[in-house]
Amino acid sequence: MNKLYIFLKYFFIVVWTVFVVAPFLWALTTSFKDFQSVNGGVTYIPWLDFEPNLEGWKVLIKSPAKGGVDIIEPYFNSLFVTCTASLISIILGTLSAYALSRYTFKAGFVKNNDITFFFISQRIMPPIVLSIPFFLFLSSINLLDSLTGLIVVYIVLLMPIAVWIMVDFFNKVPREIDETALIDGCNPYQAFLKVVLPNSIPGLIVAGMFCIIFGWIDFFFAFILTFTEVQLLPVKIVALNSSVTPWWSLSASALVSVAPLIIVAFIVERYLSKGNLSGAIK
Amino acid sequence: MAKIDLSNISHSYNPNDPNPVFALNPFSMTWENGNRYAILGPSGCGKTTMLNIVSGLVRPSAGRILFDDKDVTDLKTEDRNIAQVFQFPVIYNTMTVYENLAFPLKCRDFSKSKTDERVNSVAETLNLKSFLNSPARKLTADQKQLISLGRGLVREDVAAVLMDEPLTVIDPDLKFRLRRNLKEINEQYKTTLVYVTHDQNEAMTFADNIIVMSEGEVVQTGSPKELFERPNTTFVGYFIGSPAMNLFESEPSSNDSVKINNTLIKTNTNLSKLKTKNIKLGIRSEFIKIAKNQNENLVEVNVQKVEDLGNYKLITAKMGSLTIKSKVTRETEIPSQNVKLHIPAEKCCVYEDNKLI
Repeated sequence: MNKLYIFLKYFFIVVWTVFVVAPFLWALTTSFKDFQSVNGGVTYIPWLDFEPNLEGWKVLIKSPAKGGVDIIEPYFNSLFVTCTASLISIILGTLSAYALSRYTFKAGFVKNNDITFFFISQRIMPPIVLSIPFFLFLSSINLLDSLTGLIVVYIVLLMPIAVWIMVDFFNKVPREIDETALIDGCNPYQAFLKVVLPNSIPGLIVAGMFCIIFGWIDFFFAFILTFTEVQLLPVKIVALNSSVTPWWSLSASALVSVAPLIIVAFIVERYLSKGNLSGAIK
Repeated sequence: MAKIDLSNISHSYNPNDPNPVFALNPFSMTWENGNRYAILGPSGCGKTTMLNIVSGLVRPSAGRILFDDKDVTDLKTEDRNIAQVFQFPVIYNTMTVYENLAFPLKCRDFSKSKTDERVNSVAETLNLKSFLNSPARKLTADQKQLISLGRGLVREDVAAVLMDEPLTVIDPDLKFRLRRNLKEINEQYKTTLVYVTHDQNEAMTFADNIIVMSEGEVVQTGSPKELFERPNTTFVGYFIGSPAMNLFESEPSSNDSVKINNTLIKTNTNLSKLKTKNIKLGIRSEFIKIAKNQNENLVEVNVQKVEDLGNYKLITAKMGSLTIKSKVTRETEIPSQNVKLHIPAEKCCVYEDNKLI
């Protein structure tokens, strides 16, 4: 029984690993192929099956004048917009979540849970519904086709995620921790900053991770709200496509665009297993 | 260190409701500086609410709280200089044991050397010295509770240390030692200690004053001896002592006697002013002994069972439909038939409408 269990466990892990890793391998080999190798039947092993070259990668950093697409600027634009919007969303989201978790708000029939739901409801709407209001809004304040405009829109999109995750997290942090801090002589701000926040790092990391992922992969709003001045990576990658599909450079760009998320996943995984709340109380 | 006055305090969690439910009915009380108090009562009787009112976590619906005659009702928790230990250990997970203990002093801008001195002294008392530099989250539950306690004791000038069933998570052996430690700390530093518990033994061994509560009401305040021998209400008699006080429905008779099951029992209570006939006779099982040569206040009973509980024997006997419990020494011979029990008049408590006369 036990052996069967172990066998099955590893069997499924292997199957799952193949399932996850295979597309990456496919993209990795394809990125080193040229037109001939891509269209000349299935090949996997460089130097044996096909002759690898760096054309697919070079296109990404060559300037358009030399026939490249230059994703470097969009790449850093994306990094900047995602990180800034995530950071602001986390700060604002954490503050609102703490208030929603610890204090009672009441305006008519609207109570804490309704406010929390209001935040989440922003994500229930299909993005297409928001596109026209956002477009008009940004154009009215002259922020269309600018990094600042994108950051504003992304904060609107990411903050609900942060609020949602952090409300749930703070609800699990025992109130006695705040109360103890007050009794020990902190004012409510110090109690939040010195005691509650350090205890909430796992929650902050999870919220941060989701913000970064959702910010980084957004194509829709980046596509609608920018034209020529500013471009984000997902838009640029889609623009790579042409009448002859450049599989090699598409593969290469897919790999570079997914790289930051993989790095984030590795960092977060370590923190998540290390720091958790168990033991703060009881 | 302070004298704490609770004056006409009451609290309701829905004060704006037309029919507010009171978690705490109006009461007044004074806690003298340096004494040990226990608040005793079943779960949900308002003990924790009372504590939270003193520490400022809850603002009472009515009444004032005075620390050394200074009104602190509107003072925030952080400005009251009070310490509170909760049922489950609350520690600052991200800090070391030292940082945990030093936190209350740090918040109040104590100097480094003073902090060092206080933390070390408290750690010494609580046997935490060897853990000072380890992360607090790595410690066991009872060590964590010691840290919570330590944070309360680290301030010398603290008005009072409030403890909300602090020893629940601690194993019995350590519990005993800690209670003694707390007593020593109280004697050494003259800190007012207030201890909430639902365990009467804990209350009796710890405190020199016990406040018994029931359903939001303070039913009796007094020393363990007073509570044991002269319970104010049948609730206190029932709640304190193991087994609970014997309580018998009875009828008043002449000469301050009461009649239970057609047997006259003389009491030392003046029964001439009784308003109702709804009276109960209460007597501790500790005071009921097997009759030797007494000739009054005797009841004839059928012994149902005798339990040997180590240091004493517990007799359960029937007198008609009434059950009597009596605690006797292990050496006592218990006859199998015609057992007569003696109920000493001076230990009898008579209750009218469940209140002591």
